Amino acid sequence: MAKSSQSRQFRKVNVDEFDENNFVDDVVEDGQTGPDEGEVTNLLNAKKNTEALKVVLANRPVGGGHQLQAKALQLAVRVLSVYRSNEIEAAVKSLSKDEIDTLMKYIYEGFAEPTDKSCGILLSWHEKAFAEGGVGSIVRVLTDRKSV
Amino acid sequence: MAATLRPYLDAVRATLSAAMCIENFSSQNVERHNKPEVETKSSKELLLKPVVISRTEKEKVLIESSINSIRISIAVKQADEIEKILCHKFMRFMMLRADNFFILRRKPVEGYDISFLVTNFHTEQMYKHKLVDFIIQFMEDIDKEISEMKLSVNARARIVAEEFLKKF
Amino acid sequence: MEKFQFGVEPVTCHAWNKDRTEIAVSLNSNEVKIYKKNGTKYECIHTLSEHTQRVTSIDWAPNSNKIVSCGTDRNAYVWTLNGNNTWKPSLVILRINRAATFVKWSPLENKFAVGSGARLVSVCYFEQENDWWVSKHIKKPIRSTVTCLDWHSNNILLATGSTDFKARVFSAYIKEIEDKPTATPWGKKMTFGILMAEFGQSSDGGWIHSVCFNKSGDLLAWVGHDSCVNIVNAVNEMKVTKLKTNFLPFLTVMWTGPQSLVTAGHDCELLLFRVDNSTNISFIKKLGEANKQTESKMSAMDMFRGMDKKASTAKDTTKSSVHQNSITCMSIHTGDKENTTKLTTSGNDGLMVTWNYKSLEAAAGDMKI
Repeated sequence: MAKSSQSRQFRKVNVDEFDENNFVDDVVEDGQTGPDEGEVTNLLNAKKNTEALKVVLANRPVGGGHQLQAKALQLAVRVLSVYRSNEIEAAVKSLSKDEIDTLMKYIYEGFAEPTDKSCGILLSWHEKAFAEGGVGSIVRVLTDRKSV
Repeated sequence: MAATLRPYLDAVRATLSAAMCIENFSSQNVERHNKPEVETKSSKELLLKPVVISRTEKEKVLIESSINSIRISIAVKQADEIEKILCHKFMRFMMLRADNFFILRRKPVEGYDISFLVTNFHTEQMYKHKLVDFIIQFMEDIDKEISEMKLSVNARARIVAEEFLKKF
Repeated sequence: MEKFQFGVEPVTCHAWNKDRTEIAVSLNSNEVKIYKKNGTKYECIHTLSEHTQRVTSIDWAPNSNKIVSCGTDRNAYVWTLNGNNTWKPSLVILRINRAATFVKWSPLENKFAVGSGARLVSVCYFEQENDWWVSKHIKKPIRSTVTCLDWHSNNILLATGSTDFKARVFSAYIKEIEDKPTATPWGKKMTFGILMAEFGQSSDGGWIHSVCFNKSGDLLAWVGHDSCVNIVNAVNEMKVTKLKTNFLPFLTVMWTGPQSLVTAGHDCELLLFRVDNSTNISFIKKLGEANKQTESKMSAMDMFRGMDKKASTAKDTTKSSVHQNSITCMSIHTGDKENTTKLTTSGNDGLMVTWNYKSLEAAAGDMKI
């Protein structure tokens, strides 16, 4: 018997993957470069926390590579950790619905790369954002396909 | 430490109730079959984004959802060797009896200590909010259980050592 | 509000006959059961068992009194009531190789459409010379399971929603059996299977769970897994409006008036939305919340018993809504899409509820503009 007849290598090929009717994600490329770090730092220095937060939320990069997203996330966590715990609620209340959705996305991204310091902060933000946005905002984090 | 447990469990509860929106869905890859999509991962459009909720770097919950099933994996806090051993033994004990727990998975997802698999058949038979309660309760109790066991193991060790050293 | 519990099994779907005296339901099994209303109770009078796997959808044509059912066994049957009061099945040649998920008669009842997991829609019509139901496929560009369908009132256009995150409008004009259609705001050219319009982006996510044309067919509403309500206006340059809500995803949506939408789903409740003239959507309120009794004092014995048996101190486990599990199916009981007076819902908790929509809507206050 030929040696190749015992090969099981081919079994690793998943033929279903090559079905041309399979679902393909739409390509989204909106050329976002993420929030501007300098601008955010300036706003934070000027104690304009909520404006800094809004800048971060308005410029969440979709697509554009892992590095860009990681940088935006880092910046977001930095802005979030500036807040004292009693200021969070007011900050969340001043956000629009879309901004709360984006905030939730940042929070969950932050959970995925935990550091000892960030978790507590993110948890308290999560609590307040959930109170405002309801389960709907979490559902939209789950269904968001831009950063899968 | 304990102060952050409540918001952590609240966040998990909120995420679980959002994820537990599943329906009966027949496989679109295999004829006349119905499989948990989160396990087979055969069509990517049927999967939702997996999310993690973490309390510390080591203590976290992974929630993966799909159209007809969700998988919840829990990493339990393990501060030292003895907690690691206790946790491992305890989880193994339960997973060997997974059938009795309905939603328990026989094997944990890699990187986690224990996994649950909830399918639409579970949510049809049981109240969804009670399933969420069960998982939250489990997470609450597991920490307690392990620290209690650790205490009793230590106490026992001390007695054994005392008895042994009496001879000298 | 009338409630009827069919059992513990989920009600997959339901369909009323014309005068609302009988209802066809599938209780998560391979059988279609027909219940006759008797006072406040329902009695099972027929069991239609021809499917070999779970029945997924039923539709009852009001005028021709035919029932069509489809299931995960990839088949659909058209049932006709013959002289000696039995339902006779006839198999439909669907030519699909995955589960059939949704079926709906066209308004004129001369054809029906079946959505399926084979990523296509079969439009079926009766062929007189062969005496059977044959089908034509709408395939492109559906990329995933079709979950819901709705017919335009002109009997030609068909809206579909699928798990590839898109709601689409197709032409289902079958030249063998009908006259050439006249132009609509959705487009002029209507050869069979042509894609008239497509909405939704895969990046936004959210499998489409339900689509619904309004009475005139100019507006199309759809709901998806992202807890949003969407409306497109064909008259106004296909303008899409979207409302993000705070609730769990909706499984079904229905027009109940020229400017009112009702949705239901995983939240187990009916939610009323208003649509204004420029199709902006706003949430009005939840309809018919069950009044939960105020927490009565729990005796010490009850508390300890509860803690012992169920490890919980709460007295009851029910939710405050009428349905206790996801609502999967909603239909109009009395009235039509312009003017609904009663709605029927059924869900995974095995419960069927008929709501007095008119009075609930009136209780919602300033609904009329």
